[in-house]
Amino acid sequence: MADELDPTVLPVMHMKARPVRRSLVVRMLGGLFLGFAALLCFWLFVLPVIVVALSSVAAHWSGTILPDGFSTRWFERLSSSDFDALTTSLEIGMGVAVLGTILGLWLALALEGRDRRGLGAFVDTIAMMPNGVPSVVLGLAVLIAYHKRPVDLSSSAAIVVFVQLALVLPFCYRCAAAALRPELTVLREAAASLGAPPSMVLRRVVLPQLVPAIRASLALGFALSLGELGATLTVYPPGFATVPIVVVGQVERGYYLPASALSLILLLVSLAALLVIAARVPRRRID
Amino acid sequence: MSSLSSPEAPASLTASASASASASAAADARRSASAASHRAAVKRRQRAAQWHLLFIAVVVLGPLVIYPLVRLVALSLSGPHGFGLQAYAAFFGNPETRGVIGTTLWILFASAGLASLLGVALASLLFFKPFPGARLVTRFLELFVAFPSFLVAFTLIFLYGSQGSVSIGLQRLFHLQAPPLDFLFGVGGVILAEVVFYAPFVVRPTLASFATLDMRLIEAARSLGASGWMVAFKVIVPLAWPGIAAGTILCFLLTLNEFGILLVLGSAHLITLPVAIYSSATVDLDLPTAAAGAVVMLVMSLSLYALYRQVNRRKAKGAGHGR
Repeated sequence: MADELDPTVLPVMHMKARPVRRSLVVRMLGGLFLGFAALLCFWLFVLPVIVVALSSVAAHWSGTILPDGFSTRWFERLSSSDFDALTTSLEIGMGVAVLGTILGLWLALALEGRDRRGLGAFVDTIAMMPNGVPSVVLGLAVLIAYHKRPVDLSSSAAIVVFVQLALVLPFCYRCAAAALRPELTVLREAAASLGAPPSMVLRRVVLPQLVPAIRASLALGFALSLGELGATLTVYPPGFATVPIVVVGQVERGYYLPASALSLILLLVSLAALLVIAARVPRRRID
Repeated sequence: MSSLSSPEAPASLTASASASASASAAADARRSASAASHRAAVKRRQRAAQWHLLFIAVVVLGPLVIYPLVRLVALSLSGPHGFGLQAYAAFFGNPETRGVIGTTLWILFASAGLASLLGVALASLLFFKPFPGARLVTRFLELFVAFPSFLVAFTLIFLYGSQGSVSIGLQRLFHLQAPPLDFLFGVGGVILAEVVFYAPFVVRPTLASFATLDMRLIEAARSLGASGWMVAFKVIVPLAWPGIAAGTILCFLLTLNEFGILLVLGSAHLITLPVAIYSSATVDLDLPTAAAGAVVMLVMSLSLYALYRQVNRRKAKGAGHGR
């Protein structure tokens, strides 16, 4: 009886185990496919970063596969107006990052636990809305609203800060709101029940807990502001330029190599700022 | 505060009267009074919070977001005699911008569709079959999000421009007379650049929603004999689709709102909505006409954004139920 049962059971076990054993051809095809995918990833996403770095030190790069020779002359030839643009970009970026972080933090604290219905849901929607508005449209709207009396900002750099602030606000608000976790609420209530006044709770309990989020928000605001083009291009006053505006102007006139020297500096500066500000931000777990 | 206004007050008063100042009744009264004062404090705090929110809405969001957008819509609707639709007629009657919505939508669907397919495929590969260097690629994808988009368009000029590396490489390889690639400054280049730039924006949410999958379900399906395709379509897709859908909609939204790539690669031959708005605002200095185009674009992108928020909220709710 048992001898008869065994052969009927074993093939079933074998069937279950089979997906693990693949033939050599299938495995080779899988390997080839993975290799191709890895190459594609490298080609699409790693190569552009290398190209910017390579082209900024190229002596000449047109009609050849690799640059003809290497020199630092594009960096040496950067004019004072290029450096002015870099300084402007950095100043605007700092201002936007700091203001955006403060406003985002304020919004997140005010809206904590109230963003589901009523006025809270409305404020939440409005604060997140610039995420869904095209940057050119937002720039145009700000230009229309503030280009003549009663509020005329069209000839000052404030209008650029203004429009970029509106654009980064949703990101900063999300950063801060994501950090206000339920555990933090428990801590705050514990501190308040022990008699700490609200200002002390904010200073001693909430803000220290929010330091990683504040750093991430600063870094994000800074990086977004440095690379912002659409809105800035629509509103910028005469005699004002940020690095993206200068780079796009040079690209449109065909000066590719100086443009890539300037954009490499921009990338390095923003990367350095990100590292300095956000170096110790724990990797955000998405759950 | 005022124990008279609370519903328990009469009951406690009668209780204290009948039990002739017994200790338990006094404790009851104290408790209900403290409950009432607590309720009043909560109500006061809530009212203060509402005023705080209103203050923020008026002082911060009013000048930053609400007022500009209201002015934009108002300007697009104002004609020479008050209300009018002349600006819209002017924007769409311009022979240069005719068919601009069609062009914009066509480019949007081509590039965002390809980017979503590529992004989901890449994410599944990175998550389920990590190849050597997958971590490096993930790191670069994160870097890409902080990369300005016009810079991506710019690097493609060095790679795929008619004098770029790939073009010259192909020419040398096949001994051609002229460089073979000449598509970059036009529809082809715009689509290529948008696919390269926005695929990472799909990869991240898709990876995140894969990370929340219960791997035991996949192992169970496999041990029951399901093939790879069956696991993918019967187990993984039904569980992970809210994340994938959110990523795809986000990709469509960002691609619709894209400007830098269009300016660098497409402005000469290709009139899309953002470029048309930009040029009528800053080159022609015709703000009402630009505002009309901007309102049309605003409607398109805000409806996509509303869809995104809805899908995201459903996803959050679904995750809450799952836990």
